[in-house]
Amino acid sequence: MRETEPLIQETLVTEELPSGLRVSVIPRRGQRRTYATFATYYGSIDSHFRLPESGQTVDVPDGIAHFLEHKLFEKPDGDVMSDFSRLGASTNAYTEYLTTTYLFSTTEHREKCLEILLNFVQDPYFTPENVEKEKGIIEQEIRMYLDMPGDRLHSNLMRALYVRHPVRLDIAGSVESIRQITPEELYQCYRTFYHPSNMWVFVDGDVDPDRVIAAVFENQAGRDYKRQPPIPRILPEEPPTIHQERIAQRMPVALPMLAIGYKDPVENLSGPALARRELVTDLMWSLAIGRSSALFFELYEAGLINDRFGAQFEAAPSYAYSVLSGETRDPDALLERIERGLQKVHFDEKALERHKRRHRGQYLALFNNPGQLAYAHNSFYVRQVDLFHYLEDLDGITLAAIEERFHEHVRADRRALSLIEPEDAKR
Amino acid sequence: MFAGSAHDGVSVYVYPTDRFKTLSLYACWVGELDAATAAPNALVAYCLRRGTRDWPTFTAMQAHLEELYGASFRADVGKLGEHQLLSFRLEIPDGRYLPGHPDTLGAGLDFLQAVMQSPHLTVAGEFPDDVVGQEKDLLRRQIEGLINDKAQYAVLRCIEAMADGAKFGVPRYGRVEDLDGIDQQTVAARWREGRRRWPLLVFGVGAIDAADFEAAVRDRFQGPERARSLRPSKPFTATHEGRLLVDEEDVRQGKLHLGLATGVRLPDADYPALMMYTGVLGSFPHSKLFVNVREKASLAYYAYARVDAALGLMMIGAGIEFSNFRSALDIIRRQLDDMREGRISEDEMAFTLESFTNELKAEADSPSALIGRELERRLLGGGPTSEELEESLARVTRDDVERIAAQVDLDLIYFLTARGEVPAYA
Repeated sequence: MRETEPLIQETLVTEELPSGLRVSVIPRRGQRRTYATFATYYGSIDSHFRLPESGQTVDVPDGIAHFLEHKLFEKPDGDVMSDFSRLGASTNAYTEYLTTTYLFSTTEHREKCLEILLNFVQDPYFTPENVEKEKGIIEQEIRMYLDMPGDRLHSNLMRALYVRHPVRLDIAGSVESIRQITPEELYQCYRTFYHPSNMWVFVDGDVDPDRVIAAVFENQAGRDYKRQPPIPRILPEEPPTIHQERIAQRMPVALPMLAIGYKDPVENLSGPALARRELVTDLMWSLAIGRSSALFFELYEAGLINDRFGAQFEAAPSYAYSVLSGETRDPDALLERIERGLQKVHFDEKALERHKRRHRGQYLALFNNPGQLAYAHNSFYVRQVDLFHYLEDLDGITLAAIEERFHEHVRADRRALSLIEPEDAKR
Repeated sequence: MFAGSAHDGVSVYVYPTDRFKTLSLYACWVGELDAATAAPNALVAYCLRRGTRDWPTFTAMQAHLEELYGASFRADVGKLGEHQLLSFRLEIPDGRYLPGHPDTLGAGLDFLQAVMQSPHLTVAGEFPDDVVGQEKDLLRRQIEGLINDKAQYAVLRCIEAMADGAKFGVPRYGRVEDLDGIDQQTVAARWREGRRRWPLLVFGVGAIDAADFEAAVRDRFQGPERARSLRPSKPFTATHEGRLLVDEEDVRQGKLHLGLATGVRLPDADYPALMMYTGVLGSFPHSKLFVNVREKASLAYYAYARVDAALGLMMIGAGIEFSNFRSALDIIRRQLDDMREGRISEDEMAFTLESFTNELKAEADSPSALIGRELERRLLGGGPTSEELEESLARVTRDDVERIAAQVDLDLIYFLTARGEVPAYA
């Protein structure tokens, strides 16, 4: 399938291969870099599932998706990173709640790089020794995150907002949970979730889409994959209520940090409905507390926020929440002013039109950065939103819809707080 | 390729290209980095983003940026060697890809000019009292907040100790203790000084006509008293003989840093050789530090070496378990020894060249990378373009790299550790 967006002048070519693997390409004339991702619909929240063939239930330690992400780079003859590095290409991978993504970026040898990407993700090699060794590296990674105040702020907020849903757990798991991981469990998760029917490839570069698709096709033809039905994931029943009103942690920071979270009940939205929900909620926060709002200025003038303060909405079928966060000298005062400000918020038609323009500009700017574009495409894809249709509903969004969303989403009984406080010891 | 010219203290360079969906504009004033003026200069940048004559409040300015299709604007402070940069960056959607095809370039230039030249001032010609007070408080907290990012904090502490009072060690935002005496008059005076006397550099990347752009910029940013040239930064030389400095904080992971002097800066003929040296040692996953500290010994999640091209200062860094201080340091030193004794393989040279070539080529895909490279060249008094660098890297031999290795001089070892976890060090 080939689709062109006339205003921004970009084309997206997509094809689904017999193995179930989906390949999408955005050809970009004159771009030096080719940026490719190979992703699986398997993230940190998928530690409990049923095997698609037998229906048997499987429970594995938390952090296993991220562990797998690390381990796939290791091969009998060394680390795949150096295979890319040898070609001058760079590679990376990241694990999120919903997905795990492997990528490379290169200006040369792009066919070879694509081949390495496809192969390394499809050829696992786990031994008791190399799994043990990786635990040391991942432990250091986890400890690094434990020292990052912003990371703790978010992590604690998720634990406060969610009662049972695994988004409340750290993506990398814990030092304790990863110590339990075995090669057998890694293989089992691998075989289940790294099936092409559960994966997709995205390429952005000065390439011929048909040739990219043919190369992936050929790679798949050499592997004996039968289509696999969707993998049933077992998520606990998440109540609409929060788990805990407030979590505070002391860390060596100069200024306290505050995050306010608002949680939506589970609605299983996806596709255009989810896209619309995101747009409405983003516009709502922009109007209420965005940088041109009266409330933002009031907080800024009072010295309660800096210009990095902001609100974000994150939504997937099984969870959705907003976070307002920033550094502040006085979290209690900030919270009180925000609450008061939100109660008397006035949604303005002219401001709405401005923010719609801003959305258009920011969407356009995505196409300047291959990494951001791939990220956007992939997170849309897993939510069944089409990249070129994301803004379709934008013009039709009314103030009334925004007001309605505000009353439904911004509720004191679905709100939790996370705080990072400086240690008492004054330096 | 950038086209443009430098005269009368104003440098204007444009990279015309059709490949981006946005127009990127960057302007900076360049002053001497000095402990006495660093903080008030930083406040100039922050007060200027608070309002202009036409958009007198922060809110009005933000609303205007939203009108401009969500143009992203940043006023910031940077440093390069012994210079402080007050920079103003605007990225604005290209009207060709917007409904109705508006002219966003003119609007963008108007905005930059208004911010830098026509701020909202009181009748006395000063920045409003409350604005200065608020920005001062924010700046104080921003400086105090540098400790929040432990990796960055460790680098800052290490560089500060290496500088020992030399200008390049002055933090780009200045110091908290320098903030107290600053009032609205000081800030306005610094703004007038910068606006009239400091060299100004302006860059544009996108579908922009170079000649029109240069004329428009020169028309808007005149300054007859502007300094015509910059005093070059002095290369860093080692004086601490590899002594150890330890900071104790409540952290879960130790940050080990080694600061070194290389004696080579961007405009020097040996710069490509220094780049290859750093690349083989620690810029990539195939580099000695990553392979030996992380992959073979599993001691760290990250381990790198990088160079400050303005000073020829090299920084090695790794995040490690506290108790592994000794073994990590030993492994890092062994890598430095291997470099010095020429234990560098053909593969290491080849992979490093490929990797740098890839990075340099990719710069053409990023407006900010393009501007960053050109800015560095213009500020440091020459040096290769990315294309020239690509060519000269290919000519660097192992002998060249060994020659660099022979002159790399360890200055300081720095360790950020948990309270009570101070390593024994002989």
